[in-house]
Amino acid sequence: MSAAADAIDLGALREGERRGRVNWPLRIGVILVGLVVVMAAVSFVWTPWDPYFVDGSNRLAGPSPSHWMGTDRFGRDILSRLMVGARTTLYVGVVAVGLAAAIGTPFGIVMGMAPRRLGTPLVRLNDLLLAFPALLLAIMFGAVFGASTTTAMIAIGLGTVPVFARIARSGTLQVMSTEYVLAARSAGRSAPAIAVRHVLPNISSLLLVQASVSFAIAVLAEAALSFLGFGTQPPTPSWGFMLNDAYTVLQVMPLQSLWPGLAIAIAVLGFNLLGDGLRDRLDPRLAEHRS
Amino acid sequence: MRQHTTRFGLVLALAGLVLAGCDAGESAEDPTTAATAAGSESSASPADQGEEAAVVIGFAAEPLTLDFTTTDGAAIPEAMLVNVYEGLVKIDQDGEIVPSLASDWEVSEDGTQYTFTLVEGATFSNGDEFDAEDVKFSIERVQSDDWTISLKSAMDVVESVEVVSPTEVVVTLSEPSNDWLYRMTTRIGAMFSTDGVDDLANTPVGTGPYEVSEFVRGDRLEFERRDDYWGDAPAYDEVTFRYFDDGNSLNNALLGDDIDVVATVQAPEAMSQFEGDEYQVIEGTSQGEVVLSMNNTNPPLDDVRVRQAIRYAIDNEAVRATAWAGYGSMIGSMVPPTDPWYEDLTEMYPLDQQAATDLLEEAGATDITLDFKVPNLPYAVAAAQTVQSNLAEVGITAEIETQEFPAVWLEDVLTNHDYHMSVIAHVEPRDIGLFANPDYYFQYDSPDVQQLLAEADTGTVDEQVSKTAEAARIISEDAAAEFLFLAPNLLVANQSVTGLPENRVGEAFDLTTLSPQ
Amino acid sequence: MALQLLVRTATLVVTLVLASLMVFGFMTVLPGSAARVQLGVNATEESVAQLEAEFGLDRPLPEQYWDWVSGLPEGDFGTSYVTKATIGPQIVDRMLVTLWLVGAGMVVALVIAVPVGTMAAVRHRTSSGTVLTALSQVGIAIPSFLAGILLVSVFSVWLGWFPPGGWTPPSRGLGEFLGGLALPALALGLVQGSVLSRYVRSTVLNTQREDFMRTARSKGLLPRQAMVRHGLRNAAIPVVTVLGIQMSTLLVGAVVVEKVFVIPGLGSLLLDGVANRDLLLVQGVVMVLVVAILAVNWVVDVLYTILDPRLRAAT
Repeated sequence: MSAAADAIDLGALREGERRGRVNWPLRIGVILVGLVVVMAAVSFVWTPWDPYFVDGSNRLAGPSPSHWMGTDRFGRDILSRLMVGARTTLYVGVVAVGLAAAIGTPFGIVMGMAPRRLGTPLVRLNDLLLAFPALLLAIMFGAVFGASTTTAMIAIGLGTVPVFARIARSGTLQVMSTEYVLAARSAGRSAPAIAVRHVLPNISSLLLVQASVSFAIAVLAEAALSFLGFGTQPPTPSWGFMLNDAYTVLQVMPLQSLWPGLAIAIAVLGFNLLGDGLRDRLDPRLAEHRS
Repeated sequence: MRQHTTRFGLVLALAGLVLAGCDAGESAEDPTTAATAAGSESSASPADQGEEAAVVIGFAAEPLTLDFTTTDGAAIPEAMLVNVYEGLVKIDQDGEIVPSLASDWEVSEDGTQYTFTLVEGATFSNGDEFDAEDVKFSIERVQSDDWTISLKSAMDVVESVEVVSPTEVVVTLSEPSNDWLYRMTTRIGAMFSTDGVDDLANTPVGTGPYEVSEFVRGDRLEFERRDDYWGDAPAYDEVTFRYFDDGNSLNNALLGDDIDVVATVQAPEAMSQFEGDEYQVIEGTSQGEVVLSMNNTNPPLDDVRVRQAIRYAIDNEAVRATAWAGYGSMIGSMVPPTDPWYEDLTEMYPLDQQAATDLLEEAGATDITLDFKVPNLPYAVAAAQTVQSNLAEVGITAEIETQEFPAVWLEDVLTNHDYHMSVIAHVEPRDIGLFANPDYYFQYDSPDVQQLLAEADTGTVDEQVSKTAEAARIISEDAAAEFLFLAPNLLVANQSVTGLPENRVGEAFDLTTLSPQ
Repeated sequence: MALQLLVRTATLVVTLVLASLMVFGFMTVLPGSAARVQLGVNATEESVAQLEAEFGLDRPLPEQYWDWVSGLPEGDFGTSYVTKATIGPQIVDRMLVTLWLVGAGMVVALVIAVPVGTMAAVRHRTSSGTVLTALSQVGIAIPSFLAGILLVSVFSVWLGWFPPGGWTPPSRGLGEFLGGLALPALALGLVQGSVLSRYVRSTVLNTQREDFMRTARSKGLLPRQAMVRHGLRNAAIPVVTVLGIQMSTLLVGAVVVEKVFVIPGLGSLLLDGVANRDLLLVQGVVMVLVVAILAVNWVVDVLYTILDPRLRAAT
């Protein structure tokens, strides 16, 4: 549907690596994403408190030396839950984006390499799939299979498939018109071989950028779903549900929603900047086009 | 709860939970709220000045339809009973059965014949006059296939209805039942007009002081006072119920003057915003026992010691604090303090982790994992997390699985009994009889309890009280379930309205007691 | 071009049929029975089966599908098993609400995005441009429901300027209507505006480099004049495309925002429908959302064909 989005010039890829300018988006993105990753990693070996331990007598406490971010309405330590929640966030992001890339990329390459008669219906099919947004899909999935982290991430992943497919297709179209592919074709190379040897390596940076952006969207979607009650289920900590919990005490304890809100914003910002920075680094021309 | 349930004799057992009631969200849906005068200009007494008095009341659970004869759910009778439909009798704030469409009634010596004298001049909102034929029609209709909800079984005990005169009707029971007259105060006792039952879902026709003027699904239900009502006219000309599926939005609506009353506070954590003179907070008891239900036949819960250990291990105060911000009361059994047979059993299983571990060791159940299937209602999910943490302290792993309520939970837990533990508020009034039904999802089969409750229904009033109390004690001793706490009847309103009910008794949210300040 | 429009429209119709099949197929695997939910907890198997028969749920699937889909073009979505109400009028009512919300959100987004994006592009080498670009990044990272929560606590609970939620139709007073619309529209629009501003920035940057812009400047037009006279118009084409795509994001975003603000729109209808196992209702709402998204895409396609002379020539 959007020809504009498809018109990406791949020729200039990789050119920008030599540029001297400081790539701030990349730096900040790496730092923010790093923060989330470190939080999640540390939570496997250490959290200040047991994130599941309920303390009925110490509910909704403000920040203190023993609970740096205070406690939630169950008297649980917010920082500990935030750390474990980072795991949920990353887990959902990795699986959803991985799923989307694993299905979307081959689909997109096939769309791009297929003869027109076959390609056009496939593109239309992809457009149809695009009309089922991830969130809508996740609500329907939640109803069918029961709301859980798993259904949420699969739904988000499937909802993102057509996005990947489109990017992969537009990249493939560009690669297919290059001289070396034409040469390879006339040399009798099979289509799968061309796809693996030439297309995939050439569109990989494009996909990497898309993966980072999709990751950010997946984090947002998981948070929204958990907030609606269609995502991660308590007591497993997830930022979206923490926000939902905090929402019940918003008027009396606004700080409670600040923490998970901040965490979500940091993660999304981090992955978006990472995507921007990668794009910048891999292709400065592309970056100026699109950011 | 399959076919045999209906055959099961005890009326009480069947009267079952209005689970749909539970979907009101945290408060086990038993809002008893009142209305306030419209917006902020309501303070003057409108009746005197010929102005229209209006009140807007916020609720959590929305009725699916307006027809409680075929659709379960507490939100429907909450809105419709007493206000739009009336029964022969109704329940007052003290839990007493008082006259409504029957001005008087007599019970025969053997307790099987009820002779009702009807009020005169009552009309339905479609203009039909109310008389004894309507009583016969309504009661027999409950027994017919036109009613489909399970609660209808409370009418099974009726053998015949005889019209003596337009204002006198005799109801004969097949056996004495203390419970039957009480059930006549609930939705099954509602009186319908013979030609007013065509479109109950959208066009209710009753004898009550209000009629429904508009129903906007997902938003509001509007009532208008009937000019030709037979009884005392209520104070408000117009009443609007507004529905919010989120507790905070409900609170915010009051703060923002969109509504005058929060009929069931769903976000009790935020109650501190209503401190001060601008608002009135009303706290009483409801009928909603928040129960940690256990599947009594599913190992290891078939061992009474394991169930008892669970009762010892749970810190009910902490559960109440986290699930209801400390509101509500401790019960220790399936009986709210407003029932005549209430007895304080809260000390039967105090918090005692040592006792719990000892019992578990004795039962050889030191490392157990339980399926904890929790409906996705805020209070239940909150309570479950605290219970899980409590049980972890004594070495029991409770694996929480939140299930969509009502659809999935009804099927999985309630119908298929595929669970170890669950949490739900049983909001139906006088619902201890659920424990006398071995097919119910508790799977609790105690012949003693069954016999005591059967005798309580057919015996004298004194026997009813003593035998029901004894049954409650046995149920509690057997740890057939853990009674976490009794949901509060918690209301907040601005100062424009008076007459809000302190305790929630019966099924209706009675609008007739309300009036502008 | 006419032929092309015809092809696109035919494709749309085929796509719609496929979409209806997908939606219907999906809903039939939904576990939990509407009949059981309605009958309550002590329902017998017989009464459930009887009620399902009454609903027509025991008929063969193709028959059920045809029954449903044949009514759709006339706006007949059937009668809900659960609420006994006809679904069509409900969807129309709710759709209107959601459309107001999405429309207002779009306006907010544009009001933010066009000036911010243009400014960020024109000054892209200065610190103010960088700050604007950075701000838009932060805006994207704040989910609309979080923005909604923050807006409610500040503007209605704390300042008391706007109602915290609820919905007043325009027929009941313009002031109240706008007051109720303000916060949800802001919550939706802020995020979308941030996303959009980045597209505006990049397209404006692109057009700045185009030959006709250089020509305009060499004719003696100031950069700003050149931008307004030529640049924005040309930048509009890709922005329209993105706007179309965002329309679907807004529709879906509205589901969440409606929940926060308790707005009786399509989103809350959908969530209620799922909870009550109101199959026909859910089918109807999902279908309407999907059709809306497909239709917007189609409009964008058509507009694109018409707007861009180069594309027109090419095809």
